[in-house]
Amino acid sequence: MGMTKKYWKGLEELKETPAFIKSKDQEFPNQQAIEEFLGDDSLNESSTTRRDFLKFLGFSVAAATIASCEAPVTKAVPYVVKPENVTPGMPTWYASTYYDGCSYTSIKVKTREGRPIFISGNKDFGFTNGGVNPQIIASVLGLYDSERLAEPTIDGVSKSWSSVDSAVSSAIKSAKKVVLLSNTIISPSLTRAISEMELSMNAQSPSKFEHIQYDAISYAAMREANLKNWGAAIIPSYDFSKAKTIVSIDADFLATWLLPTEFAGQYGQTRNPDNKWMSKHFHFESVMSVSGSNADGRGMIKPSEQASVLAYLIKGMGGSTSVSSNLNPGAELIAARALKALKFSKKESLVVCGANNVGLQLLTNKLNYILRAYGTTIDANNPIQLYKSEDEKVQKFVSNVIAGKGPDVLLVLGANPVYSLPNGVEFGKALKNIKTRVSFASHMDETASLCNYTCSDHHALEAWNDYIAKSSEYAIAQPTIRPLHNTASALESILVWSGKATRGGKDSAVAYDYIKNTFQGLFPLGDFAFTTHNSCAALSVMPAALTFQDAAISSLPQAGDLEVVFYQKTAIGTGLNAGNPWLQEMPDPMTKVTWDNYITMNPLDMEKGGFVTTYDQEHGLNLATVTVNGTSLTLPVYPLPGQTLNTVGVALGYGRGGNGEKIGKAAYQTKEYGGYDLSENGNSKPIGANAFPCVSFENGTYQYYGSGKLSKVDGTYIIAATQIHHTVMGRHSIVRETTLDIFSNKDKEAYNPSFTLQRLNKEGHHEDAPLAEFDLWDAHPVEKIGHRWGMTIDLSSCIGCGSCLIACQSENNVPVVGKDEVRRGREMHWLRIDRYFASDEEATVGLRKDKETFSYDKAELAAENPKVVHMPMMCHHCNHAPCETVCPVLATTHSNEGLNQMTYNRCIGTRYCANNCPYKVRRFNWFNYPSYKKFTEVNPAQDDLGRMVLNPDVTVRSRGVMEKCSFCVQRIQSTKLVAKKELRPIIDGEFATACSDSCPTNAIIVGDWNDVNSKIYSSSNEKRSYQALEEVGIKPNMWYKVKVRNEENALLDDLQVVKKKAHHGEKKAHH
Amino acid sequence: MQKEAVIREPLILGHKTYHDITEDVCRPIEDKAPKMWYILFGIALIIGLYGVGCILYLLGTGVGVWGLNKTIGWAWDITNFVWWVGIGHAGTLISAVLLLFRQKWRMAINRSAEAMTIFAVFMAGLFPLIHMGRLWVGYWVLPLPNQFGSLWVNFNSPLLWDVFAISTYLSVSVVFWYIGLIPDFATIRDRAKKPLSKKMYSILSFGWSGRAKNWNRFEMVSLVLAGLATPLVFSVHSIVSFDFATSIVPGWHTTIFPPYFVAGAVFSGFAMVQTLLLIMRKAMSLEAYIHTKHIEYMNIVIMVTGSIVGTAYITELFISWYSGVEYEAYAFLNRATGPYWWAYWSMMTCNVLSPQLMWFRKLRRSLLFTFFISIIVNIGMWFERYVIIVTSLHRDYLPSAWSMHYPSHIDIGVYIGTIGLFFVFFLLFARFFPVLALNEVKTILKGSGQSYKESPDYHKHH
Repeated sequence: MGMTKKYWKGLEELKETPAFIKSKDQEFPNQQAIEEFLGDDSLNESSTTRRDFLKFLGFSVAAATIASCEAPVTKAVPYVVKPENVTPGMPTWYASTYYDGCSYTSIKVKTREGRPIFISGNKDFGFTNGGVNPQIIASVLGLYDSERLAEPTIDGVSKSWSSVDSAVSSAIKSAKKVVLLSNTIISPSLTRAISEMELSMNAQSPSKFEHIQYDAISYAAMREANLKNWGAAIIPSYDFSKAKTIVSIDADFLATWLLPTEFAGQYGQTRNPDNKWMSKHFHFESVMSVSGSNADGRGMIKPSEQASVLAYLIKGMGGSTSVSSNLNPGAELIAARALKALKFSKKESLVVCGANNVGLQLLTNKLNYILRAYGTTIDANNPIQLYKSEDEKVQKFVSNVIAGKGPDVLLVLGANPVYSLPNGVEFGKALKNIKTRVSFASHMDETASLCNYTCSDHHALEAWNDYIAKSSEYAIAQPTIRPLHNTASALESILVWSGKATRGGKDSAVAYDYIKNTFQGLFPLGDFAFTTHNSCAALSVMPAALTFQDAAISSLPQAGDLEVVFYQKTAIGTGLNAGNPWLQEMPDPMTKVTWDNYITMNPLDMEKGGFVTTYDQEHGLNLATVTVNGTSLTLPVYPLPGQTLNTVGVALGYGRGGNGEKIGKAAYQTKEYGGYDLSENGNSKPIGANAFPCVSFENGTYQYYGSGKLSKVDGTYIIAATQIHHTVMGRHSIVRETTLDIFSNKDKEAYNPSFTLQRLNKEGHHEDAPLAEFDLWDAHPVEKIGHRWGMTIDLSSCIGCGSCLIACQSENNVPVVGKDEVRRGREMHWLRIDRYFASDEEATVGLRKDKETFSYDKAELAAENPKVVHMPMMCHHCNHAPCETVCPVLATTHSNEGLNQMTYNRCIGTRYCANNCPYKVRRFNWFNYPSYKKFTEVNPAQDDLGRMVLNPDVTVRSRGVMEKCSFCVQRIQSTKLVAKKELRPIIDGEFATACSDSCPTNAIIVGDWNDVNSKIYSSSNEKRSYQALEEVGIKPNMWYKVKVRNEENALLDDLQVVKKKAHHGEKKAHH
Repeated sequence: MQKEAVIREPLILGHKTYHDITEDVCRPIEDKAPKMWYILFGIALIIGLYGVGCILYLLGTGVGVWGLNKTIGWAWDITNFVWWVGIGHAGTLISAVLLLFRQKWRMAINRSAEAMTIFAVFMAGLFPLIHMGRLWVGYWVLPLPNQFGSLWVNFNSPLLWDVFAISTYLSVSVVFWYIGLIPDFATIRDRAKKPLSKKMYSILSFGWSGRAKNWNRFEMVSLVLAGLATPLVFSVHSIVSFDFATSIVPGWHTTIFPPYFVAGAVFSGFAMVQTLLLIMRKAMSLEAYIHTKHIEYMNIVIMVTGSIVGTAYITELFISWYSGVEYEAYAFLNRATGPYWWAYWSMMTCNVLSPQLMWFRKLRRSLLFTFFISIIVNIGMWFERYVIIVTSLHRDYLPSAWSMHYPSHIDIGVYIGTIGLFFVFFLLFARFFPVLALNEVKTILKGSGQSYKESPDYHKHH
């Protein structure tokens, strides 16, 4: 019996099917040589492999990862078939391109198990050289916004694409006039599709179709001025890296003006005092901006004085102009210095002006022409294609609509005119007279909610796109995830409605094919897969013969009693990302205020006007109403040093979604215990107030300056700021600053003195000894053994933009806590940027003018036009960490690689470590941020979709534990693993923390300090390197580098002399 | 029997006999409680329960319900902790140190002072527990063998020292107090008529028979425990001060802290004893046993320790300037002139100026004035801890992180609640326990009793 027993593995074997017999001896069925498979070029060409694996991912990953942050895991679904290039736990990177109508840059997208979780700049390809800004990094969160429109709608009701298509197509067909109102379109494919649409429609009846480009912030005056001067309505390229003298007239080119992703990096290159030369940067502005705060000389002017600055410089350079060059004495001093520098640097100079005023732009062009900057720092042959807003056309169209003479069909793409037009409300009311209104918006925003059709576009990370941001470069954006919702590419919608394509559904290849087609048109011999891999390819530019023609200057900004400036904040910009909680909670680089806009005013003006100039969590700021162009805004008045007297500033981009629109969960004011604060009309209260209605249309362009009135209103308003003390109180061991002159000519002790203590030598005399020789503790065995991770931050190149802060938040799952908690001083950012203003008691930030007469009271107040230092601050990973010794349960310990580690699981939450941290970088989980009701609206981790953005390599911390910067230990570990697998040591530069990775000016260097050939080792040993609070004896693994300003500072020179004398005196006394 | 000079003020007034003492102490226990007791108990209970409610809300929601922030990680929680520990100092000092120094006047007050100590330490112990972010894993501070791997406690951390110091102090105090209670429980047991209370008190009295052997052992144990407890009086608050002194926070990092904290603790402890006894002697008609002389003695202790504290404050100020350390100098300048100047000057007024008034004999023998000053001193001592903790933290090294602290209503609720709970315990004690060490007091009746000192036979016989 036993002998005849038959064992079988499957029914196939039992029945001995022919297929089984065939495959019986093959251990690995259907073998295909890997080379053969990889060598198949057609795979590179086709989109199906990508789409296939994205299909698998979309299905399983969402559920698996949503639940992965909490125990117990209840929704985990393992891969049945492992997608080919996805290994769980290993990230996949895609090169792509980011463009949202304002910011543009080449990016790399990190995906984990098919989810994009991190965006960093692409340092290898693209003319932006990896430059990013906070908005770009934070855009990954927008992908998982649960309030994005998931489906096309008709009159607010979800409908299928086919019904929307048929309705819109027939409306277009029967229409007499169709208008496409879009933001600046830099996509060659989309431009081609639009012109095809135009062609086919205009064939029916001439000028049936009109395309109007409209940006919330217009640069039309630049194009207009260039048209007058050069005969072409272009915006030329600027190269700040070649400019030895930079003069900026209210152009915040490091944060918001034109193309900061490129300019910041260029600027950073010229700010290193160790290089052969360092640029001199002069800035004239009204509201202290990021760029202005970095300037070597900053003049406070009113908007109406901008022309005078330009005229002063033109006249000084030997040009002539009829414009008055009268300036206030303070600004004239800076202008004189600027002139001196310009005379010296001549064509290696660059003058930029941020005003959307043709007259000012003509003056700027003239000055640049006199300097011969065209050809060196300005390249008119390679124009920037961004910002093609046609103000006059827009204004005409808008007034037609308001007058009831609108088109039959209005398509709105990438624009939100109801919000951002000065007369947006009127425009919105008049919209209903247009029969068919179609929006491509991703949210039910101000405009979309007044449209009868919404045809939501993909999120940028879900779509194929192509861009030409500068004539010299063609860039591709590739999808990094299968569309989460039933959205469709705008390109596809336009093609479908003009009858050029049919809907492709969720895995549509319409846009892909079309873009590939465009690409082949541009590059007949190009390899699309290769270009996609790099994200961009160079285009040849034709040098055009342009000749300068002087033009008459008119329509300059008028002076007023109170001049009001409408500016953009780094994080919120035009309000496009108002629903993004990371950006709302990002402290403004200058004011450190989160979740609000306000009126900025010089504290001196405020004292005169009876406004309070200090504030904290319980004491608010006075309210005031500012009235410009008949529009009144009531906002708190914020004391901003450096604001020109008799001017105020108000940030644009706030006050969104106040009429019940759905623009994102985090876009509204929340109450102390969670839930939305409601306004009188029963809708959620928007954050801040919308300043766009104050913008005026004058002389053919939108003006972001105005004259107005300000009156104090009863009551105070509490603001949430992460920093409520603004000076460094003359503490030289925290911030060190010097001038280029002193740095180049004096020895280290003059600007970066090392800390010494006195001790008795054998003869019984006092002698100075370096701090390192006084030590109570045994050293950690981190020197010369294994790795020792360290970091240097160059205060000279740090511009304070905040990219590192958002990158850290994105990388490390830092919770968002909302305004009320920030107000209480409980923001969770692992990395913050301290911003210090100089006081009148200091010669530079941190250096006392006179030690004897130094007054702490006066040192608390910032100077009228203070120097500024931005200082990124995070865990210093001290080798003698004060936090480590005090933890009763050893929850925070030192690693043998020099890292100060935080063991969340072991933490019992005594907060002793935070008290004992001299840098105050430890953050406590006061509540259960991932579930407590107070944070439902603001914290993405409380949203089923939102938590897909969480980095699976980093624990989501629970209530009651301490957390802090880990030096991105997860990145260190993965770098080590990769190197180990390849049996090699870690290469210097291979590992980067999220902050150093995202720094547009490369101010942050990280690496292995034990590797004596590493960049970090040499950087930390440079003459400018110092350790903040060195005298406390905590031995941090982090160094700052002295801020060097390229200025003349007689005060500082005098101090050096006095100090030398005093030093000699002391020495004598000892002997 | 100890001899005592006749010119010394008697410690027991009136013509008390041994029986009178028994009657005076036991009567409140045996009689029905007066209406006032119920009223006070009711108020204390309501306040205490409100505090418990606040604590439950805190535990359910997170430490964020307090007014702390990223800069100020401790505020009212640790202020209250140190304040209560300080108050909890007087009891053991009175019963142990004064026992060793043979200060007979302590006998009238040591029982209630010790009770106060124990209840104050209960209240104090509550704060380190509830201030933890994760109370449920708080037992990790104990060096328990465990299966978590090689996890152990950090013996470098002053918080760990606190755990040992406070728990040792509490257990020794409880034992000491209880040993003293045994003969008195036996007296009540012997007088009890109701079977239930007889049963209860006989369990509590451990079968005390009053034999000479019992008394002999009682004396021995008391002396041994007094010897054990005396160093604890100094160690507890020294170790509590290490929480601050071993840190690097300017204003915390000072070597003067241990003696300064101990003096401050005795100062506040005696003040609290005054507050309680002045009420108790009236309410329970114990004026004969706790009278002006006792109050005066305690006022002298308050005056001396208050002067030590004042000297410490001024030394700190001097050293901060003399050290030349910038942050240290600023920390103290900021205390006196910064945003929390009012807390600093409240502290200075209450703790430095007010005890100096005790130099006037009339004032230190005035009961009303003493009561007033005792409360002032405890307010001052609360401010001292607040000043040390909050004003040092709120402006430390980096001005960018400077902040302000505003208490939330939960902060206030928990604090007031512990005062309520403290009185709940104390009122229960006054109702059911002999508030005077009656058997010990009897030992001084013949030496220091008024009737014996005044009797014409007094000199003849002794």
